[in-house]
Amino acid sequence: MSAIKELTKGIVKENPTFVQLLGMCPTLAVTTSVANGLGMGLSATAVLVASNVVISLLRRFIPNKIRIASYIVVIAGFVSMIEMLLKAYLPEISKSLGLFIPLIVVNCIILARAEAFASKNTVGKSALDGLGMGLGFTMALTLISTIREVLGNGTFLGFSILGKSFQPATMLILPPGAFIILGLLIGLINLIVARKGGKAE
Amino acid sequence: MKENENMFTLAGVLFVITAIVALLLASVNQLTAQTIQENATKEQEAARMAVLQLAETFEDVPLQLTDDSLVQQVYAGYSGEELVGYCVSVTPNGFGGPISMMVGIRADGSIEAVKIVSMSETPGLGSKAQDPIFSGQFSGKKVTKPIQVIKSGEADQNEIIAVAGATVTSQAITNGVNAAISVVDDLQSGGTQ
Repeated sequence: MSAIKELTKGIVKENPTFVQLLGMCPTLAVTTSVANGLGMGLSATAVLVASNVVISLLRRFIPNKIRIASYIVVIAGFVSMIEMLLKAYLPEISKSLGLFIPLIVVNCIILARAEAFASKNTVGKSALDGLGMGLGFTMALTLISTIREVLGNGTFLGFSILGKSFQPATMLILPPGAFIILGLLIGLINLIVARKGGKAE
Repeated sequence: MKENENMFTLAGVLFVITAIVALLLASVNQLTAQTIQENATKEQEAARMAVLQLAETFEDVPLQLTDDSLVQQVYAGYSGEELVGYCVSVTPNGFGGPISMMVGIRADGSIEAVKIVSMSETPGLGSKAQDPIFSGQFSGKKVTKPIQVIKSGEADQNEIIAVAGATVTSQAITNGVNAAISVVDDLQSGGTQ
Protein backbone atom coordinates (compact mmCIF):
# COMPACT_ATOMS: atom_id res chain seq x y z
CA MET A 1 0.00 0.00 0.00
CA SER A 2 1.18 3.50 -0.66
CA ALA A 3 2.16 5.70 2.25
CA ILE A 4 -0.96 7.86 2.03
CA LYS A 5 -3.22 4.80 2.07
CA GLU A 6 -1.53 3.60 5.28
CA LEU A 7 -2.50 6.89 6.87
CA THR A 8 -6.05 7.20 5.57
CA LYS A 9 -7.22 3.64 6.00
CA GLY A 10 -7.65 4.19 9.73
CA ILE A 11 -10.02 7.09 9.20
CA VAL A 12 -12.96 5.42 7.49
CA LYS A 13 -12.37 2.05 5.81
CA GLU A 14 -10.65 0.46 8.81
CA ASN A 15 -11.82 2.87 11.49
CA PRO A 16 -10.87 1.27 14.81
CA THR A 17 -14.14 2.20 16.51
CA PHE A 18 -16.81 1.82 13.85
CA VAL A 19 -15.35 -0.92 11.66
CA GLN A 20 -12.82 -2.84 13.74
CA LEU A 21 -14.85 -2.42 16.95
CA LEU A 22 -11.74 -1.96 19.07
CA GLY A 23 -11.39 0.12 22.24
CA MET A 24 -15.12 0.02 23.01
CA CYS A 25 -14.67 0.48 26.76
CA PRO A 26 -13.02 3.90 26.77
CA THR A 27 -15.23 4.92 23.84
CA LEU A 28 -18.38 4.34 25.86
CA ALA A 29 -17.05 5.82 29.07
CA VAL A 30 -15.15 8.89 27.94
CA THR A 31 -17.52 10.34 25.33
CA THR A 32 -19.68 12.22 27.83
CA SER A 33 -18.23 15.51 26.65
CA VAL A 34 -16.40 16.71 23.54
CA ALA A 35 -13.45 17.94 25.59
CA ASN A 36 -12.99 14.50 27.13
CA GLY A 37 -13.40 12.72 23.81
CA LEU A 38 -10.82 14.93 22.09
CA GLY A 39 -8.40 14.74 25.00
CA MET A 40 -8.58 10.98 25.17
CA GLY A 41 -8.35 10.56 21.39
CA LEU A 42 -5.26 12.72 21.09
CA SER A 43 -3.54 11.10 24.08
CA ALA A 44 -4.26 7.64 22.70
CA THR A 45 -2.95 8.74 19.28
CA ALA A 46 0.31 9.91 20.84
CA VAL A 47 0.77 6.56 22.59
CA LEU A 48 -0.24 4.65 19.46
CA VAL A 49 2.30 6.38 17.20
CA ALA A 50 5.09 6.12 19.79
CA SER A 51 4.47 2.46 20.52
CA ASN A 52 4.06 1.52 16.84
CA VAL A 53 7.41 3.16 16.05
CA VAL A 54 9.27 1.50 18.93
CA ILE A 55 7.75 -1.92 18.34
CA SER A 56 8.52 -1.70 14.65
CA LEU A 57 12.12 -0.77 15.49
CA LEU A 58 12.39 -3.78 17.80
CA ARG A 59 10.51 -6.22 15.61
CA ARG A 60 13.52 -8.36 14.71
CA PHE A 61 14.84 -8.27 18.24
CA ILE A 62 11.82 -9.55 20.17
CA PRO A 63 11.43 -13.34 20.27
CA ASN A 64 7.99 -14.63 19.35
CA LYS A 65 7.23 -16.20 22.72
CA ILE A 66 7.51 -12.97 24.68
CA ARG A 67 6.17 -10.55 22.15
CA ILE A 68 2.89 -9.70 23.91
CA ALA A 69 4.69 -9.13 27.21
CA SER A 70 7.21 -6.86 25.49
CA TYR A 71 4.51 -4.85 23.71
CA ILE A 72 2.66 -4.32 26.97
CA VAL A 73 5.81 -3.06 28.69
CA VAL A 74 6.45 -0.58 25.90
CA ILE A 75 2.82 0.59 25.75
CA ALA A 76 2.52 0.91 29.53
CA GLY A 77 5.78 2.84 29.60
CA PHE A 78 4.52 5.40 27.12
CA VAL A 79 1.15 5.73 28.84
CA SER A 80 2.84 6.34 32.19
CA MET A 81 5.01 9.01 30.60
CA ILE A 82 2.01 10.71 29.00
CA GLU A 83 0.17 10.57 32.33
CA MET A 84 3.03 12.30 34.15
CA LEU A 85 3.39 14.92 31.42
CA LEU A 86 -0.35 15.65 31.46
CA LYS A 87 -0.45 15.92 35.25
CA ALA A 88 2.43 18.36 35.19
CA TYR A 89 1.64 20.54 32.19
CA LEU A 90 -2.09 20.11 31.46
CA PRO A 91 -3.56 19.42 34.93
CA GLU A 92 -7.13 20.40 33.94
CA ILE A 93 -7.32 17.79 31.17
CA SER A 94 -5.61 15.28 33.41
CA LYS A 95 -8.25 15.74 36.10
CA SER A 96 -11.04 15.59 33.57
CA LEU A 97 -9.88 12.33 32.00
CA GLY A 98 -8.91 10.92 35.37
CA LEU A 99 -8.76 7.14 35.44
CA PHE A 100 -9.05 6.81 31.67
CA ILE A 101 -5.50 7.91 30.99
CA PRO A 102 -3.91 4.88 32.63
CA LEU A 103 -6.61 2.76 30.98
CA ILE A 104 -5.11 3.63 27.58
CA VAL A 105 -2.70 0.79 28.32
CA VAL A 106 -5.47 -1.76 27.83
CA ASN A 107 -7.04 0.04 24.89
CA CYS A 108 -7.24 -2.81 22.40
CA ILE A 109 -6.44 -0.55 19.47
CA ILE A 110 -2.85 -0.10 20.55
CA LEU A 111 -2.11 -3.75 21.20
CA ALA A 112 -4.00 -4.76 18.05
CA ARG A 113 -1.97 -2.46 15.80
CA ALA A 114 1.25 -3.57 17.46
CA GLU A 115 0.46 -7.21 16.84
CA ALA A 116 -1.19 -6.89 13.44
CA PHE A 117 0.96 -4.22 11.86
CA ALA A 118 3.92 -2.71 13.67
CA SER A 119 5.54 -6.07 14.36
CA LYS A 120 5.53 -6.86 10.63
CA ASN A 121 6.16 -3.56 8.89
CA THR A 122 8.75 -0.82 8.56
CA VAL A 123 9.01 2.08 10.97
CA GLY A 124 7.74 4.66 8.51
CA LYS A 125 4.62 2.69 7.61
CA SER A 126 4.00 1.80 11.24
CA ALA A 127 4.13 5.44 12.24
CA LEU A 128 1.61 6.35 9.54
CA ASP A 129 -0.61 3.43 10.51
CA GLY A 130 -0.54 4.56 14.14
CA LEU A 131 -1.32 8.14 13.18
CA GLY A 132 -4.18 7.14 10.88
CA MET A 133 -5.74 4.78 13.40
CA GLY A 134 -5.31 7.34 16.15
CA LEU A 135 -6.96 10.06 14.09
CA GLY A 136 -9.80 7.71 13.15
CA PHE A 137 -10.28 6.90 16.84
CA THR A 138 -10.21 10.59 17.76
CA MET A 139 -12.75 11.45 15.09
CA ALA A 140 -15.03 8.64 16.23
CA LEU A 141 -14.79 9.78 19.85
CA THR A 142 -15.44 13.40 18.88
CA LEU A 143 -18.47 12.44 16.80
CA ILE A 144 -20.00 10.35 19.58
CA SER A 145 -19.18 12.96 22.24
CA THR A 146 -20.73 15.74 20.18
CA ILE A 147 -24.02 13.87 19.87
CA ARG A 148 -24.04 12.89 23.54
CA GLU A 149 -23.04 16.28 24.87
CA VAL A 150 -25.28 18.42 22.62
CA LEU A 151 -28.40 16.29 22.98
CA GLY A 152 -27.72 15.00 26.47
CA ASN A 153 -26.49 18.18 28.12
CA GLY A 154 -27.31 21.04 25.76
CA THR A 155 -23.68 22.10 25.58
CA PHE A 156 -20.72 21.80 23.21
CA LEU A 157 -17.25 22.03 24.71
CA GLY A 158 -18.94 23.32 27.84
CA PHE A 159 -20.74 26.18 26.09
CA SER A 160 -24.51 26.10 26.31
CA ILE A 161 -25.69 26.15 22.73
CA LEU A 162 -29.31 25.09 22.79
CA GLY A 163 -30.62 27.66 25.19
CA LYS A 164 -32.31 27.43 28.57
CA SER A 165 -35.61 25.98 27.42
CA PHE A 166 -33.96 22.88 26.00
CA GLN A 167 -34.67 19.80 28.09
CA PRO A 168 -31.62 17.59 27.66
CA ALA A 169 -32.07 13.86 27.09
CA THR A 170 -30.04 12.97 30.15
CA MET A 171 -30.03 9.29 29.27
CA LEU A 172 -27.57 10.05 26.49
CA ILE A 173 -24.98 11.12 29.03
CA LEU A 174 -25.37 7.84 30.90
CA PRO A 175 -24.11 4.38 29.86
CA PRO A 176 -27.31 3.23 28.08
CA GLY A 177 -27.12 6.32 25.87
CA ALA A 178 -23.53 5.49 25.03
CA PHE A 179 -24.42 2.01 23.82
CA ILE A 180 -27.38 3.24 21.81
CA ILE A 181 -25.55 6.08 20.05
CA LEU A 182 -22.53 3.89 19.34
CA GLY A 183 -24.71 1.11 17.94
CA LEU A 184 -26.64 3.48 15.70
CA LEU A 185 -23.45 5.08 14.40
CA ILE A 186 -21.80 1.71 13.68
CA GLY A 187 -24.88 0.67 11.71
CA LEU A 188 -25.02 3.97 9.82
CA ILE A 189 -21.33 4.08 8.92
CA ASN A 190 -21.21 0.47 7.81
CA LEU A 191 -24.30 1.10 5.69
CA ILE A 192 -22.60 4.04 3.98
CA VAL A 193 -19.38 2.12 3.41
CA ALA A 194 -21.29 -0.87 2.00
CA ARG A 195 -23.30 1.34 -0.35
CA LYS A 196 -20.17 3.08 -1.59
CA GLY A 197 -18.46 -0.27 -2.09
CA GLY A 198 -21.44 -1.55 -4.07
CA LYS A 199 -21.51 1.49 -6.36
CA ALA A 200 -17.76 1.36 -7.05
CA GLU A 201 -18.15 -2.12 -8.41
CA MET B 1 12.32 -15.52 14.90
CA LYS B 2 14.84 -17.99 16.20
CA GLU B 3 13.84 -21.62 16.84
CA ASN B 4 15.95 -22.55 19.85
CA GLU B 5 14.84 -19.68 22.06
CA ASN B 6 16.06 -20.77 25.40
CA MET B 7 14.88 -19.34 28.68
CA PHE B 8 17.93 -17.09 28.95
CA THR B 9 17.36 -15.35 25.64
CA LEU B 10 13.72 -14.75 26.49
CA ALA B 11 14.51 -13.49 29.98
CA GLY B 12 17.41 -11.44 28.68
CA VAL B 13 15.40 -9.62 26.02
CA LEU B 14 12.55 -8.89 28.43
CA PHE B 15 15.08 -7.63 30.97
CA VAL B 16 16.68 -5.25 28.49
CA ILE B 17 13.35 -3.87 27.33
CA THR B 18 12.03 -3.39 30.86
CA ALA B 19 15.29 -1.84 32.01
CA ILE B 20 15.22 0.76 29.24
CA VAL B 21 11.55 1.58 29.83
CA ALA B 22 12.22 1.88 33.56
CA LEU B 23 15.07 4.28 32.86
CA LEU B 24 12.88 6.44 30.63
CA LEU B 25 10.10 6.48 33.22
CA ALA B 26 12.51 7.51 35.95
CA SER B 27 13.73 10.38 33.77
CA VAL B 28 10.26 11.67 33.00
CA ASN B 29 9.37 11.34 36.68
CA GLN B 30 12.45 13.34 37.62
CA LEU B 31 11.41 15.98 35.13
CA THR B 32 7.79 16.31 36.21
CA ALA B 33 7.57 15.37 39.90
CA GLN B 34 8.14 18.85 41.21
CA THR B 35 5.66 20.49 38.84
CA ILE B 36 3.02 17.92 39.76
CA GLN B 37 3.57 18.59 43.45
CA GLU B 38 3.39 22.34 42.88
CA ASN B 39 0.14 21.95 40.95
CA ALA B 40 -1.40 20.00 43.81
CA THR B 41 -0.29 22.60 46.36
CA LYS B 42 -1.56 25.47 44.20
CA GLU B 43 -4.91 23.74 43.84
CA GLN B 44 -5.28 23.39 47.61
CA GLU B 45 -4.20 27.02 48.14
CA ALA B 46 -6.70 28.22 45.55
CA ALA B 47 -9.47 26.19 47.17
CA ARG B 48 -8.65 27.68 50.59
CA MET B 49 -8.68 31.21 49.23
CA ALA B 50 -11.96 30.56 47.44
CA VAL B 51 -13.84 29.48 50.55
CA LEU B 52 -12.47 32.03 53.02
CA GLN B 53 -11.97 35.17 51.00
CA LEU B 54 -10.86 37.56 53.71
CA ALA B 55 -8.05 35.34 54.91
CA GLU B 56 -4.52 36.14 53.78
CA THR B 57 -2.47 33.50 55.51
CA PHE B 58 -3.28 29.96 56.55
CA GLU B 59 -1.93 27.87 59.37
CA ASP B 60 -2.28 24.13 59.68
CA VAL B 61 -4.19 23.14 62.81
CA PRO B 62 -2.95 19.82 64.23
CA LEU B 63 -5.82 17.52 65.15
CA GLN B 64 -6.56 14.18 66.72
CA LEU B 65 -9.00 12.52 64.34
CA THR B 66 -10.61 9.10 64.36
CA ASP B 67 -9.87 6.78 61.44
CA ASP B 68 -13.33 7.04 59.95
CA SER B 69 -13.45 10.82 60.13
CA LEU B 70 -14.26 12.56 56.85
CA VAL B 71 -11.96 15.43 57.80
CA GLN B 72 -8.47 15.47 56.24
CA GLN B 73 -7.02 18.76 57.43
CA VAL B 74 -8.04 22.00 59.06
CA TYR B 75 -6.39 25.34 58.31
CA ALA B 76 -6.97 28.45 60.36
CA GLY B 77 -7.21 31.53 58.14
CA TYR B 78 -5.82 34.85 59.40
CA SER B 79 -5.96 38.40 58.13
CA GLY B 80 -2.97 39.86 59.91
CA GLU B 81 -3.41 38.80 63.52
CA GLU B 82 -7.14 38.35 63.36
CA LEU B 83 -8.72 34.91 62.98
CA VAL B 84 -11.01 35.04 59.95
CA GLY B 85 -12.18 31.46 60.12
CA TYR B 86 -11.28 27.90 59.21
CA CYS B 87 -10.84 25.94 55.98
CA VAL B 88 -11.65 22.29 56.41
CA SER B 89 -10.62 19.74 53.80
CA VAL B 90 -13.09 16.82 53.83
CA THR B 91 -13.46 13.73 51.67
CA PRO B 92 -16.90 12.13 51.93
CA ASN B 93 -17.75 9.09 49.81
CA GLY B 94 -19.86 10.01 46.85
CA PHE B 95 -21.62 7.85 44.30
CA GLY B 96 -18.56 7.29 42.15
CA GLY B 97 -15.79 7.51 44.73
CA PRO B 98 -14.41 10.01 47.26
CA ILE B 99 -15.33 13.66 46.80
CA SER B 100 -12.56 16.04 47.78
CA MET B 101 -13.99 19.32 49.08
CA MET B 102 -13.02 22.44 50.99
CA VAL B 103 -15.45 24.05 53.44
CA GLY B 104 -14.86 27.61 54.63
CA ILE B 105 -16.31 28.41 58.04
CA ARG B 106 -16.08 31.90 59.48
CA ALA B 107 -15.01 32.63 63.03
CA ASP B 108 -18.64 33.28 63.96
CA GLY B 109 -19.54 29.70 62.98
CA SER B 110 -21.38 30.46 59.76
CA ILE B 111 -20.46 28.71 56.51
CA GLU B 112 -18.81 31.02 54.02
CA ALA B 113 -18.55 28.68 51.04
CA VAL B 114 -18.20 25.10 49.88
CA LYS B 115 -15.86 24.24 47.04
CA ILE B 116 -15.59 20.86 45.32
CA VAL B 117 -11.91 20.24 44.55
CA SER B 118 -12.36 16.93 42.78
CA MET B 119 -15.11 14.39 42.26
CA SER B 120 -15.94 11.53 39.97
CA GLU B 121 -19.71 11.69 40.10
CA THR B 122 -22.04 10.89 37.20
CA PRO B 123 -21.73 13.53 34.52
CA GLY B 124 -24.98 15.40 34.04
CA LEU B 125 -26.34 14.26 37.39
CA GLY B 126 -24.04 14.14 40.42
CA SER B 127 -21.58 16.44 38.68
CA LYS B 128 -24.23 19.17 38.81
CA ALA B 129 -23.52 19.41 42.52
CA GLN B 130 -20.59 21.61 41.57
CA ASP B 131 -22.96 24.25 40.16
CA PRO B 132 -23.53 27.24 42.44
CA ILE B 133 -27.26 26.45 42.38
CA PHE B 134 -26.52 23.51 44.64
CA SER B 135 -23.23 24.30 46.38
CA GLY B 136 -24.27 27.90 46.98
CA GLN B 137 -27.10 26.73 49.26
CA PHE B 138 -24.63 26.25 52.09
CA SER B 139 -23.25 29.78 52.02
CA GLY B 140 -24.33 31.91 54.92
CA LYS B 141 -25.88 29.08 56.92
CA LYS B 142 -25.23 28.98 60.62
CA VAL B 143 -26.53 25.77 62.16
CA THR B 144 -26.53 24.02 65.52
CA LYS B 145 -27.67 20.61 64.26
CA PRO B 146 -26.46 18.67 61.18
CA ILE B 147 -27.89 19.94 57.90
CA GLN B 148 -30.55 17.69 56.35
CA VAL B 149 -31.09 16.96 52.66
CA ILE B 150 -34.60 17.28 51.27
CA LYS B 151 -35.65 16.41 47.74
CA SER B 152 -38.06 19.26 47.02
CA GLY B 153 -40.05 22.07 48.54
CA GLU B 154 -38.91 24.98 50.63
CA ALA B 155 -35.67 24.44 52.53
CA ASP B 156 -35.50 25.99 55.96
CA GLN B 157 -32.31 27.14 57.67
CA ASN B 158 -31.32 23.58 58.56
CA GLU B 159 -32.01 22.01 55.16
CA ILE B 160 -30.74 22.02 51.60
CA ILE B 161 -32.38 20.72 48.44
CA ALA B 162 -30.70 17.82 46.67
CA VAL B 163 -29.69 17.84 43.00
CA ALA B 164 -32.55 16.21 41.08
CA GLY B 165 -31.69 12.55 40.51
CA ALA B 166 -28.45 12.74 42.50
CA THR B 167 -29.44 12.17 46.11
CA VAL B 168 -26.35 10.13 47.00
CA THR B 169 -23.99 12.84 45.77
CA SER B 170 -26.01 15.55 47.51
CA GLN B 171 -26.06 13.62 50.78
CA ALA B 172 -22.33 12.93 50.59
CA ILE B 173 -21.50 16.60 50.15
CA THR B 174 -23.83 17.50 52.99
CA ASN B 175 -22.13 14.91 55.20
CA GLY B 176 -18.82 16.56 54.37
CA VAL B 177 -20.15 19.98 55.32
CA ASN B 178 -21.58 18.64 58.57
CA ALA B 179 -18.27 16.99 59.45
CA ALA B 180 -16.50 20.31 58.83
CA ILE B 181 -18.94 22.21 61.02
CA SER B 182 -18.58 19.62 63.75
CA VAL B 183 -14.79 19.73 63.83
CA VAL B 184 -14.70 23.55 63.88
CA ASP B 185 -17.27 23.50 66.69
CA ASP B 186 -15.00 21.17 68.65
CA LEU B 187 -11.99 23.38 67.99
CA GLN B 188 -13.69 26.52 69.11
CA SER B 189 -14.92 24.96 72.31
CA GLY B 190 -11.36 23.76 72.92
CA GLY B 191 -12.23 20.09 72.46
CA THR B 192 -10.09 18.41 69.78
CA GLN B 193 -6.70 19.68 70.90
